[in-house]
Amino acid sequence: MKRIKSMSTVLLTFATAVALSACGGNNGSNGSAASSNTGGAASSDAKVTVSITSWRAEASEQEFYKQLQAELNKTAPEIVIDYKPVKATEYNTSLNVALSTDTAADIIHLRPYAAGTTIADADYLEPIDDLKGLDVFTPEQLKAAQGSDGKQYGVPYMLSSTQVLYNKDIFAKYNLQEPKTWDEFIKLADTLKSNNVTPLAFGSKEGWVLSLMHGAIAPQFYGHDFVDKFLKGEAKLDSPEYISSIEALKSLQPYFPANFEGLSMEDIRTIFATGQAGMVIDGHFEIASIQALNPEIKIGAFAVPPVKEGDEPSVSTWVDGSFAINKNSKNKEAARKVLEFMTTKEYGSMILGSTKSPSPIPGVSTDDELVNAISDLASKYGQPYFAVTNLNSGNPTTKSTLETDLQGMFLDAMTPEQVAADVQKSADTWFK
Amino acid sequence: MEDTPTAGAPPRNGTWKKHLIHLFPVPAILFYTLFIVYPILAAFTYSLFEWKGLVMGRFNNFDNFIRLFTQEPYHTMFWRALRHNLYYFVVEMVVQNGIAFGLAYLIFRKIKGASFFKVAYFLPRLLSVIIVGFLWKLILNPNMGILNAVLRKVGLESLTTAWLGDPDTALTAVVLINSWFAIGFYMLILLAGLQSIPEEVMEAARLDGTTGFRLIRSVVLPMMFQPMVIVIVMTFIQSFEAFELVFAMQGSTGEPFYSTDLLAVFFYRTAFGGNSGDTGSLGIGSALAVVLFAIIAIISAVFMKYVNHKETA
Repeated sequence: MKRIKSMSTVLLTFATAVALSACGGNNGSNGSAASSNTGGAASSDAKVTVSITSWRAEASEQEFYKQLQAELNKTAPEIVIDYKPVKATEYNTSLNVALSTDTAADIIHLRPYAAGTTIADADYLEPIDDLKGLDVFTPEQLKAAQGSDGKQYGVPYMLSSTQVLYNKDIFAKYNLQEPKTWDEFIKLADTLKSNNVTPLAFGSKEGWVLSLMHGAIAPQFYGHDFVDKFLKGEAKLDSPEYISSIEALKSLQPYFPANFEGLSMEDIRTIFATGQAGMVIDGHFEIASIQALNPEIKIGAFAVPPVKEGDEPSVSTWVDGSFAINKNSKNKEAARKVLEFMTTKEYGSMILGSTKSPSPIPGVSTDDELVNAISDLASKYGQPYFAVTNLNSGNPTTKSTLETDLQGMFLDAMTPEQVAADVQKSADTWFK
Repeated sequence: MEDTPTAGAPPRNGTWKKHLIHLFPVPAILFYTLFIVYPILAAFTYSLFEWKGLVMGRFNNFDNFIRLFTQEPYHTMFWRALRHNLYYFVVEMVVQNGIAFGLAYLIFRKIKGASFFKVAYFLPRLLSVIIVGFLWKLILNPNMGILNAVLRKVGLESLTTAWLGDPDTALTAVVLINSWFAIGFYMLILLAGLQSIPEEVMEAARLDGTTGFRLIRSVVLPMMFQPMVIVIVMTFIQSFEAFELVFAMQGSTGEPFYSTDLLAVFFYRTAFGGNSGDTGSLGIGSALAVVLFAIIAIISAVFMKYVNHKETA
């Protein structure tokens, strides 16, 4: 009897402990972060700790923040950066909880466009319209981190861009040149096909890949002024020019690998990296993974060529996040200094060099030829990645509607006209 | 186990011990309340409010439920996912439980190596669902997968397809993979049922000359009524709350083109947001969770009731 009694006591205690720890889990982790903060501050009284939270949690990122610390201290020696990464898939949830419980970091890595606007509109962020150095960015780039009130809340930190990547060895073998027009591009694809090389690595199993690739070629078909016209309400997603951009993606189908319906980004990467395909329409951020699969591969990049000779080629770019200041931060002054540093060429070069990403800050370079080439194309021919910059609202978002519908199109369940009509229907639910 | 009476203490009779017994379920009840009752009630509460991201808004009655059943795209998504769950259930009943019964019966009849097969068929169950998903994704990969490679080798090139990317095959593939995973478990339940049939009954049937299918149909199956019902109810619950495998293999939208979308995946996507910047809406997600709970609870309850009725009749 005694044994049973004591066992039930143990169980009860355990249950209570579980319940308490479940409720208090958040406090626990905050406690430890806070103590490390005071630890940093205690070493020297003049030092100010600025915490930064981000969804970029890779090891290379840890290294990047160490570099940032060193560079920053050249101009602001008193600032200590406390980098608090959160797993990408859990970042939004964790940030929302931290903001609503007033435990968020001083500097917040904002997801771009609509997602950032939501946080700004909820009044969690400090406007930074008067921040020194903001004028290095284009108005387009600044839009990635504005509230509905039109105020600036974040400093754009890196550009993503989509263009055509190609295998230089394969191009050399068949004596191919970077195409100057869309027709040349198609002819080039035909040549590869007739030589039993898959022209384009492609797969429609994952929706996001489809909007990415559509986004890359679309500006050449709906025209460089379509986004503006759409925003002014002068054009719609079911307008002929938008439909033709969807038809253009569909028209590439003969150049895709067999059974592309079942291929995901992993497969696309493998097909391109192993030389089975000559080209891929892809984001700059895939290059590192492709090179990891095959360090020998020589990759070149070109902008999507114009349909009409003489028109400008295009690459689609978007700001992949910005840094904003938490409205309830205790260290706003120091946080502003960090943000000011994030507008300098030193910072831009660091982004370019260590993340291999184009930086929105003009005039920076690295010794990586491909990164420089892409960076150059992005600044010369950049067009907004419409689905991310403007169609990322609604529930489900118009972007994710487009993705699933494009998948349907490649499964012959929808025509390009139906896709266009459906995405316009989705936009109607939120776009005014 | 007898307590030794301590000196000075009045001799106790059994009454306090009798009362102590009431305390024993407390830990269980606490656990049950905390992890089962509370989440269900919470989901129901959440479903009655408006949500802005993770922030609870104002009370809005049954608005979330009304939107779920009348507003696009929820309305289409709901009925499509429900149809997929039903298909899932039917295929599992026929294929998974059919094979599970066949295997259980063979092991029951003590074929050679019975205990080896018992273990072999249970083995997949020991893997994590995520690993199962990953493994089969490799096998079914249209480009490098072993299945298409084998088909090509034996001259059935025309049968190769993008298994998981083809809406005609994707859902069936996922259901069959789940069956492969779960078959050993159901086999064991059915085997236990078979072993509970009194030896005399089987003996008598055999003396009467009943063998083969007739033996199964007229003797074995009627004696197995209860374990069968347990299997059916468990299969029903399993197929209506199926999530992990589809999520691991086909993502949060039940790719391709929603052809493998199930109620639980639809719930996840609606409540927590998909992978393309969807912010999710907890209110409608919770409403869907409540509907899903009701479907499972009501149908299981009706079924069990029917069984009890049959048992006592």
